[in-house]
This record gives sequence, structure tokens and C-alpha cells, in this order.
Amino acid sequence: MFPRPGRDVGFPIAGCALLFAVFLAGGLIYESFQGRAAERLVTVMLIDAIIVLGIQIYVGNTGVLSFGHIGFGAIAGYAFAVFAISPAEKLKRIPDAPFGLNDVLLNPALAVAVAIGVTVVVALVVGIGLARSGAESGAVAATVITLALLFVTHEVARNWPDLTGGNRAGLTFKVGAALDSRLPIYLCLLGALILARLFAQSRSGKLAAAAREDNLAARAMGVNPLVQQTAALLISVAVVSVGSSLRVYENGSILPDDFFFNYTLLTLAMLIVGGRNSVTGALVGVAVMTVGRELARRLGQDGFEVFGLGLDAAPLDWIFRENLQTVFLGLAMLGFMIFRSDGLLGDWELDGWLWRLWHRRKPEERPEPLAEVAPVGLHVEVDREGAALEVHDLAVDFGGFRALDGAGLTVGPDEVVGLIGPNGAGKTTLVNVITGIVEPSTGWFKLGEREMIGAPSHEIARAGLLRTFQNLRLFGALTVRQNVELAARVAAQHRPGNHPPVDALIAEAGLWHVRDRRARELDYGSARRLELARAAAMAPAYLLLDEPTSGMSDAESAEMIGRIRHMAAAVDAGVLVIDHDLNFITGISDRIYVLDQGQVISAGTPDEVQADPAVRAAYLGAESDAEGRA
Amino acid sequence: MTELAQNLIDGLGRGSIYALLALGVAVVFGVMHLLNFAHGELITVGGYVALWTLGAGWSWYIVTPLIVLSAVLTSLAIERVAFSRVRGSSDFTLLLTSFGVHFVISAIFLLYVSASVKPFDRPSWVTNTYSVGPLNIEVYDTVVIAVTVLTLIGTTLLLQRTMFGLSLRAAAADFDTARLMGVRSDTVIRGAFALSGLLAGIAGVFWLMRAGSISPSAGITPMLKGVLAALIGGLGSLRGAVIGGLVLGLAEVLLRSRLPDSIASLTEGVVFLLIALLFIFRPQGLVTVKHAVRV
Repeated sequence: MFPRPGRDVGFPIAGCALLFAVFLAGGLIYESFQGRAAERLVTVMLIDAIIVLGIQIYVGNTGVLSFGHIGFGAIAGYAFAVFAISPAEKLKRIPDAPFGLNDVLLNPALAVAVAIGVTVVVALVVGIGLARSGAESGAVAATVITLALLFVTHEVARNWPDLTGGNRAGLTFKVGAALDSRLPIYLCLLGALILARLFAQSRSGKLAAAAREDNLAARAMGVNPLVQQTAALLISVAVVSVGSSLRVYENGSILPDDFFFNYTLLTLAMLIVGGRNSVTGALVGVAVMTVGRELARRLGQDGFEVFGLGLDAAPLDWIFRENLQTVFLGLAMLGFMIFRSDGLLGDWELDGWLWRLWHRRKPEERPEPLAEVAPVGLHVEVDREGAALEVHDLAVDFGGFRALDGAGLTVGPDEVVGLIGPNGAGKTTLVNVITGIVEPSTGWFKLGEREMIGAPSHEIARAGLLRTFQNLRLFGALTVRQNVELAARVAAQHRPGNHPPVDALIAEAGLWHVRDRRARELDYGSARRLELARAAAMAPAYLLLDEPTSGMSDAESAEMIGRIRHMAAAVDAGVLVIDHDLNFITGISDRIYVLDQGQVISAGTPDEVQADPAVRAAYLGAESDAEGRA
Repeated sequence: MTELAQNLIDGLGRGSIYALLALGVAVVFGVMHLLNFAHGELITVGGYVALWTLGAGWSWYIVTPLIVLSAVLTSLAIERVAFSRVRGSSDFTLLLTSFGVHFVISAIFLLYVSASVKPFDRPSWVTNTYSVGPLNIEVYDTVVIAVTVLTLIGTTLLLQRTMFGLSLRAAAADFDTARLMGVRSDTVIRGAFALSGLLAGIAGVFWLMRAGSISPSAGITPMLKGVLAALIGGLGSLRGAVIGGLVLGLAEVLLRSRLPDSIASLTEGVVFLLIALLFIFRPQGLVTVKHAVRV
């Protein structure tokens, strides 16, 4: 699950250690000037950092806004308190504790472990609901569930006095039982940093990021977002549990309001201000917000004086009232959302920057051409002999509109087959059916002997049917190379065998010079070629290309013919290509199917199809009409 | 049997308010894809209007339209100040913006009014009941259900019979296309916020009548019920929002009366568990909305 040791892990770990050192040094220096007064401030900042990093693992990698992490924190906090507080103290607050919890006493470290366990179990149940509704109705639905979780843990904490001590009393440790050294906090923070950073770099983290960038494209590439999001949630909740336990221990008590809206606002503001997609950003956010709050507090308390100019406390008193913090936090959040929604750092990472500095000195060599490193015979352990793609009698209805009406076709393992038809003929719908996005009302399709109807998108992709999209679905925030690499990683897990080398594919697609550019910065033609390379990296049995030249000039389009055929031959894949451009389809295809109004009206070699009077009437007529109008 | 009938009536009363809240949330979600976590603040503002005007000795008959009006104006103001600036942004940005608005408004009351819960007089008839056979029916519930039915009929007519309603439904189905067809996005979005404020205002009147008090954080519960109900019904469906509200209200009342005493106080937790289960088995909510995904 984590990056290969040695090669990929060094920089993130070193970067985290450096970050930790700088962060801590800042706190300690302030403390040395301010003395004991600042001690608690620094401790609180360190603990906040752990919790914010925990939230970042989920929010940053999955892109789902969660209000619920502080709710999970409350569960962990109570679990920790119930197990770590001595029976004598508990007798005062919760004499009727259920399940005989009154007599239990664990040492703090074990109690933290219990807290993690309890919280992770809750998170597992909630997480599956989250991921499923998120996949169905978008991230918004998932966010509402997390909000409800926060609210409900608070309600339960208030209304279950037998366990939680209720709303007023809460649970308290014996006076003076707080941590006698900060060492555990240091270790936990460093651990949280490294975990967050490594998770973002791991296969799981990258796949979650892919689903964040484009859920549909990720599924069409064989990623099951449900698994990645749940993994991110569990790890994230575990880190939050540790932080929350420390918070409770440090406070010496826990009340329902300690883990509710205000703390949610604070932690989220820290995350947003710094930059939710970056671990470095999360830490910067914690530092900035802590300094900001402290500054506001001291200004309100003492007034200020700089170079003889200044104000005493009185006129500022009304501004820096205690509750104004909330307004500030809310406004900071609003301001960042409106003007800079990716926070201060965006997705900048310290170790990534160091890595680029380090590698700038040695330029990479252009890889060998694909045909030489990967001649035909990149066999994947799927029996290709006769593993034809057969589509039979598909019908799809959208309300009253029949998009497909008994369409069928066959593609052989080494063939390039074209599917042509005027706009609205049902071409894309056909691809959507055989990639599991649309369910047909009748019909079936098979890959070799395997019946594929009803399989979810990601399983179809893993079986070897890989598609591109008419309207381009790349993972915009990832670089060209990361886009392709991601597909290769999915392939490595789900399609055993030899795989085309990532760099060679990138060069083959003519993208070598932009390999470290973000996908969303690419021009249209390059983006199309990247989508092709990404699909090819999965070592597909069949490539399904939906209008691979749409938006390209005639010259680019002609060049694309050679590129597609060459790349398909190199990775040993059959091709089904869809377009309404007759020149392109006849130029690239061995055989052609013509689709009109949901039915195949003609099939054969390019010459046969072009000569077919039915095609001339239905397709060419319609197309020339359309051109006439335009 | 009697008890069940009693529960159903109580649940319908509670569910009606949730339905109005959820419908307000769904209307805005339809045109902007924004789930408005500041929806409850419309009630908070109305609550302070009620506090001040009732305190000045005004009667509920005058205060009621003022509450509704304040909710509509607040809704429009929020749109103008905050949401108009993030139109078309990612879900993440939209959600956090509304969350930020929620906090700023409630914090302003916290700062410049008071953190404490302030009581005001409830109308005298709120606690009255009358009997129909073995059933004890609250006057309040009767009024709530009747007004909700009238409001829903009114809203339906507005959506079905007017040009504005048509634009709004078109925008909810496909905003970009609706714009291309000449629907003015400003008008539709502001109209949606006004309608959302109106529905929240009506719900707010009832909410406040029952609560008889107001505090800066009073908006949280109605907001949460509203968005949850909209989600249970199926985000994006107006009909679903109403159904979701009724289902949530009925579920709460039934559970509270049926659960054993020891866990009755944890009803909220049980309801949440049920909702989580609902989303595991029916992630799209109760009413299915077909989204046309363009791929």
C-alpha cells in the first residue's frame, strides 16, 4: 500500500522531519521569550496540528469536505477518558456507567489504543455509507452525513450522562494527572506528519486523489473509489483519535462542547487557510491561525506599541472580545473560499520541492521507443486467443427516447474497428453500456467467455476494457506522468503480466517534453494523447476510444491515426473507435459499423461501407445537411 | 392503534416543518448546486426579530409576517454578499462558504446581543389541544399541517404555472442549457433564494412558536433537519425533499415513543444510525433523480 521503500520514501520522511523541526522550533523559541505563559499555547498548537493533519488525510486526498472528524474526535475522547480515568474519579461522576466500565482502568497508552479501536469501528460503518452516497449523489451528500455525525455525537454525549457525565459535569481526570513530558506529543505529531505524507504518496492515496479529480474517469480506469475513500477515512480517523485523546488528557477533562462546532470551525479554518491538499499546508495553517489568535488575544489584552506609536487596551477591547474569534475564523474561511480556495500553499509540498532541487542537476534521458522496449508480446495473463469483444442486441431507453435499439457488433483481438454515425445515433451510449456506466434494458456483451453485463465500471476496466472520453476526463491536478503512472499502478495490481513502461508510453504519445506539467495545463491535442497513453498503460485487451480526434485539426487528426494504431499494436490491444468524421474512421479502421437511430445499418470494410446506398442515404445525407446548416 | 394514530399526527406536524425547511434547501440546491448550511440562520434572524418586536408588546399577528419578511431579506442578502461570489465553484468551496456564512451570522448575534437563551411569549393557543374520539390533537399541529399543505400547494402552483417557476425548474434540471435558452441566471438564483427564505420563514414562525426562545446557535438544529431531510429524500428532487421531511419527522416521533426508556433520550443517535443504513442500501435517497451524465 505504501511506496516502495528506499526510492520513494526517503524524501517525504526527510521533508517531514524538517517540517517538524521548523514547526517545533518556532513554538519553542516563542516559549523561551514568553516563559511558562506560552507553554500551554505551544502544547495546544502541537495537539491541534495532529488533529488537523488527521483531517487532512481524508479531506485532502478524497476532496470530500468533512465536518464529522471532530465528532469522531469526541467518540475517541470519551472512549479514552472512560478507560483512562481511575475508578475512584469515575465513581464521582458516572456511578452508573454501563457495561461495568466503572471498574476499568487502563494506562493512558492502552486507553489511546482502545479509543482508536472504538472510533475506527464507528468510522467503518459511517464510511461505507459515506462512500456509497458520495459515489451516487456527489460529495455534497457525504458532507451532510459527516455534519449529521458531528451533531449526533454531541447529542448523544449530552444525553447519556451515565457514560459521559452529561452536559455540565463531563468527565475529569484527577487533578495533576496531565502529561509530565511533551515527548509523547512530539512523537505523535512526527508520526502523524509522516503518515499523512506517505499516505498521499501511496498507491491508495494517489487513487483517492484520482477519484477526487474525476470520479467517473477513475472508475473507468479500474479504481474503486469506495475502497480508497474508506481507507483514507480509517487512517485519518485513527490519527484524529490520537490527537483527541491527547487533547482530553491535556485539558484534564472532556465536555460535549469541547468537540463541537467551534472546534470544527477552528480545525477546518486551519486546514483551509494553509491549503487542504498539502501536508505542509496543513501545518502552515495551524501555525498561522495559532499566531493570529494569539496576536488578537494579546492586542485585546495589552494594546500595542510600535516605535512609540500605539494604542492602549481600551479602544481595542471591543474588537478583540473573546467571541470575536469566531467571527474572525468564519471570515477567514469565507475570504479564502472566495478569493483563494486552495489556501496559502495549494498542493505545494516541502519534500516535493527538495526533490526537484535535488534532481534538477541530472536531466532525465529520453526513454527508448515503445516498439523497442515493448514489442508485441506484452502478454497479460488473460488468454487473448479468440477473446473477442462481442456486443449483442443492446437496447437502452432514456425516458421515452430509445438511444440504442438492438445494436450489436464484434471486435477481434488484433482489429481496429470503427463505429460511425451521425450525432445522436447512440455511439457514446454504446460505449457507456460496455463500460458499465449505463445499464441496458436488454442485450448482453462478452469479453472472451466472460459475460460482462451488470458488472461495475471498475471491474470492467480491470477485465481489460479501457475507454477514453469524448469530453476529456483527465486528473487535472496531477502531472502528465502521474496520470499515466496511476494507470500503471492499477494495472500492476489487477492485470498481472508485463506492462508497457510508463516513460516509453509518454514519449510515444509525444508528451515527453511536458511530462511534469499538470494535465489541466495541456493544450487540447496533448490532452487527448495523454488520455490515450493513460488507457494504454492499463495494458488493455481493448481500447474504446470515444471521438479521439474531436476538436483536432485535419492534420492532427491524420497524425492521430498512426499514433493510435501504433500504440495499440505495441500494447497488443484491439481497438473500437467511435467518431462521426468519415475520413478519420475510414483512415483508421479495418472494419466499420454504421449506427443510425440506435441500430446498425451497415457493416463491412471501409470500401464496402462507403459504397452502401443505405449509408449514403442515412449517414452521409444527414452529415452533409448538418454541414450545410453550419 | 390509538397510540399509533396519535404518533402519526404528531409526526406529521413535526415532519411538515422539516418538509418546508428541506424544500427551501432543495430549491437553492437545484439552481446553484449549493447546500446551504446557513439555512438555519434565516430562522435565527427571525427569532431575534420576534424577540425584539414581541418584547415591545406587538402581537404575534403582526410579528408573524415580520419574521417571514426578515427571513426572505436575509436570504437575499446572504446571496448578494457571499454566494454570488462563488457561483460555479467546486462543491467544496460552496459548502465551506455556506458554513462560513453560518458562523459569521451566529457569531454576530453572539457578540452583539448575547450568548444566553432569551425567552419570549408564545401565542396562548400553542399548547391547547382538542379531542377527536380517543385522540388528543394539538391546535398547533393542526395549524402547522394546514399551513404546510397550503404552502406546498402555493409553491407547486408557482413552479408549475408561472414563468419564474418554469425557469427555476429548467435551471434545476440543467443550468447551462437553461441559460442558453435565455433564462436569466441572476433572476432565477435570486428568486430561488427568496423562495427559500419564504419557506424558511414560514417554518421559522412555527419553530419559534414552539421553542418560545432564541439564542445565537438556535439555527443549527433546523438547518440540520432541513439538509438531512433533503438528503434522505434525494438531493435535487423537490418532491423528494418534502417526502424526506415527512419521513424524518415521523421516524423521530415513532422512535421516541417506541424505544425503551433507557435509550429514548438517544433517539437522535438511533435516527442517525438508520439514516446511515439507508445510505448504505439506498445511496441515492428515497426519490431517485436521474442525472444525465455527459461523458
